[in-house]
Amino acid sequence: MSAPTGEIYRIDWLPGTDVLHGTCHCGAEHTAQDPVEMWEWMLGHPEGHRLQPQSQPQSEPQSQPQSPERAP
Amino acid sequence: MPHMTAFARNQWYVAAYSHEVGRELLGRTILGEPLVFYRAKEDGAPVALGDRCVHRRYPLSESGLDGDRIVCGYHGFTYDRTGACVYVPGQKRIPRTARVASHPVVEQDSLVWVWVGDPALADPQAIPRARHLDSPGWTTVRGMEPIDADYGLLVDNLLDLSHETYLHGGYIGTPEVAETPITTEVDEGAGIVRVSRHMDDAECPPFYARSTGIAGRITRWQDIEYHAPCLYLLHSRIAPVGVLPEADGSDPNGFHTEITYAITPSADGKVYDFWMVSRDWATDDAEVTEFLRSNNHTVVMQDVDALNLLQKTLGSERAGYQELSINIDTGGLAARRILARLVEEGDKPVEKAL
Repeated sequence: MSAPTGEIYRIDWLPGTDVLHGTCHCGAEHTAQDPVEMWEWMLGHPEGHRLQPQSQPQSEPQSQPQSPERAP
Repeated sequence: MPHMTAFARNQWYVAAYSHEVGRELLGRTILGEPLVFYRAKEDGAPVALGDRCVHRRYPLSESGLDGDRIVCGYHGFTYDRTGACVYVPGQKRIPRTARVASHPVVEQDSLVWVWVGDPALADPQAIPRARHLDSPGWTTVRGMEPIDADYGLLVDNLLDLSHETYLHGGYIGTPEVAETPITTEVDEGAGIVRVSRHMDDAECPPFYARSTGIAGRITRWQDIEYHAPCLYLLHSRIAPVGVLPEADGSDPNGFHTEITYAITPSADGKVYDFWMVSRDWATDDAEVTEFLRSNNHTVVMQDVDALNLLQKTLGSERAGYQELSINIDTGGLAARRILARLVEEGDKPVEKAL
């Protein structure tokens, strides 16, 4: 077993829907309806991971590399 | 082509229950390595050695003990508890290479853990705990079933409990299990996958109805904690519907059951399924103990039969067959990925400090 790094990934299956809501350890969020796609996004960190203010749309073009941001 | 998940070396695995390791030699194959276990007379500690005599590869587990030494049942080659050969028949010179491997062993929480890999890397502090297995206030029933299936199939099975509804209906499965969304959390560095399913208003399955006496519907929580690669903990809480833990965190009206599995890969396409059910309620009730033992054994055998069949079926598939994952598989996919990382780490040559 490796030493804990505090890197926690979380995926909530939103009740009453087929939607998965993922939160990366950096704080970036993403929604998907396919767990394979969700894990690809999650593990792609920091690619396509940018903290979003809640008022902005969730989806971002994933082809643009983003600088990693850290959760507070 | 048989379905096979690579083995993760340089990890701790449950080799046996404490009560299985005594003065009778016990043979177990772990990660493809035949090992022999016994308990030393000298200090009561478990010993794990390679299970093949260096002479003609006779299984030492089919041999005998002379004090704390194993005497090979074929020609009498004799090994001490460190694996060194201390006697060969008919001559005084013992070849320098006459030694079987000795594996680090730790006995903890009524489990005997063995390290498979480079002994210099074995850190007993890294072994995950399952204290309920031998803590006062808890009663445990347990068993072990060998399965002729890849260990990855057992990991898949245990990380996605929606199968309870279909494979274990009438025992532990009810419609709500498959219908209720899960949350999945991965602690990357610690190698832990957590999958939670909280059912607010569910049918009480016979496994719990008959053992707890709850007649109506229940609040049922299933919180999985998988410490890859070997230890799986399912924290189960049930209570009459709407009955929640108190504000101070105490939970006098909840029934807590700890379902523990140790998933120990044996050989390619074979796994040891160690199963344990511990409870903090009706702990002295022998009837409840026997009911849970027999009921859970039936449930485990339903899994054994299903995984034996699945392994056989996958073995007849063409290479590159497709599978399809949906939301219920979110935790299982996470576990597969963590295992792949541990396999990779275990295969890397390790630089030793000078």
